[in-house]
Amino acid sequence: MNRFDHALGRLVSMRALALLRIPAGLIVVLHLRPFLDDARNGHIYRDAFTEPYAAWYPELPRSLYVAVLWLGVAAAIAMAAGLCTRLATATTFGVVAYNLFLSTTHMHNNRAYLVVVLALLAVAPCGRELSADAWIRRRQGKPPLDPSAPAWPLLLLRFEASVVYGASAVSKLVDPDWFGGNVTWDRTVRDRSDMFASGVPDWLVSILTDRDFHTFAAKVIVLTELFIAIGLWVRVTRYAAVWVAVCFHIAIELSASVQVFSLVAISALVIWAEPATRDRVVSFDPAVAAHRRLVAFVRPLDWLARFRLEPGSSGTPLRVVDRDGSEDTDVAAAVLVLSRLPVTAFFALPALLVFGRGHARARPKAVASGS
Amino acid sequence: MGSRARILGRRTAVLVVVLLQLGMVVRGYTADHKEFAFQMFSESSTWRADIVRVTADGRRIPVDEPWAGYEWDELVGDRGLRFAAVRHHADAGVDNQLAFLAAALDWLADNTPNDTETLYLEATVTYWRNTHAPETVVFRSHDRNVQAQ
Repeated sequence: MNRFDHALGRLVSMRALALLRIPAGLIVVLHLRPFLDDARNGHIYRDAFTEPYAAWYPELPRSLYVAVLWLGVAAAIAMAAGLCTRLATATTFGVVAYNLFLSTTHMHNNRAYLVVVLALLAVAPCGRELSADAWIRRRQGKPPLDPSAPAWPLLLLRFEASVVYGASAVSKLVDPDWFGGNVTWDRTVRDRSDMFASGVPDWLVSILTDRDFHTFAAKVIVLTELFIAIGLWVRVTRYAAVWVAVCFHIAIELSASVQVFSLVAISALVIWAEPATRDRVVSFDPAVAAHRRLVAFVRPLDWLARFRLEPGSSGTPLRVVDRDGSEDTDVAAAVLVLSRLPVTAFFALPALLVFGRGHARARPKAVASGS
Repeated sequence: MGSRARILGRRTAVLVVVLLQLGMVVRGYTADHKEFAFQMFSESSTWRADIVRVTADGRRIPVDEPWAGYEWDELVGDRGLRFAAVRHHADAGVDNQLAFLAAALDWLADNTPNDTETLYLEATVTYWRNTHAPETVVFRSHDRNVQAQ
């Protein structure tokens, strides 16, 4: 239990949650937009079939309900901007959760996951960086607030993220129809005319509607979800799991209508970054144009604050010293840096297989030896 | 709050959330709506229904026809209940879909005050769970007090 308490209370960087706060706020605006569009057309949820979860759950007068939705939008924008972050995030969570629990007809997996993300952002101090609040403090000459905090909200969010993949995988694994390929095959066969209509080539339709293909594909899907759920927790598979998760969500987005699920899930992948900042050092030669270009690229895109950029002396090769003391130089260093930036990671991570660990990478020297 | 209390509070909050979440996942195997169970793309099941209004004098009138200023497609919202007569996918599983349909019949019975002739609504549903043989079930709303309408 002591180790458990230590893990929950360990001070870690909240940078990943601060970063997640920004897309989460914008996603809330997207999420609330259909409700507001309906309201503009004179319709709210209870004008059609609804099924309240509980009779005691408060229902607001029509105009107040619409006002609350607009409050949610305003709070979500403030949350994304990091303005009065704690209040804005709590308000955003409150509005989205209130709206979700108004009726069983409002419940969707993507909304449930969004509410979970918002709840944990609301309890984490995620406005001390990447926020208008931090900017205002700087302008007022006040010292910045400590960007680290106890790890428990981050760990809980990691748990929830892996539950999303794990629960989905297990539900398919224990269902013989799913694991045997019946479900995906049946769905695909029923969508055959849509595939033809959208220009999918005949040969591909033929493969996708082949029963034997789905016997195999269903298992790949289930194992992929399991791999993501478990692989995210294991250091050596974490980056692979993140990459696979992005591919997985892109595939889902292309093949199904899942509202904001893909956006929430891909954004939430930032929580798997090591919760420590500036623990890798990039040294470079300012006289070398390629080094300058890389640094100019990294500086604004290092949203997770992974790197300390240190100009070296003339002739210094591009070098990255990792948190474990291992070093990469030249192309390997550039690839490593790009693989750690949120916007380039998806493209650079596969290149690590060629240029990464085990390929001309200097291991840390022993700093002491026993006798 | 003292350090010990803070540790206990943190531990309790985390354990409660973890147990609650795991409980919701387990509950998802029996619950119709599977809230927070994250069972995604769980079925290829399809369904269709013949839904009628049964009037006090015994007539059975399909809800495809507008009545008393109401239209089925406008009243049932967007949970897969529109175009019920056409066989289509049960997005979140057939149990979820049938639960929505049964609840929608009751909701319609309660929320169509201009209708002074319908005694109850009835849906004869045929559903195909994944690739299995079709099954049929009949849902009926509670009776309306037609004379009081």
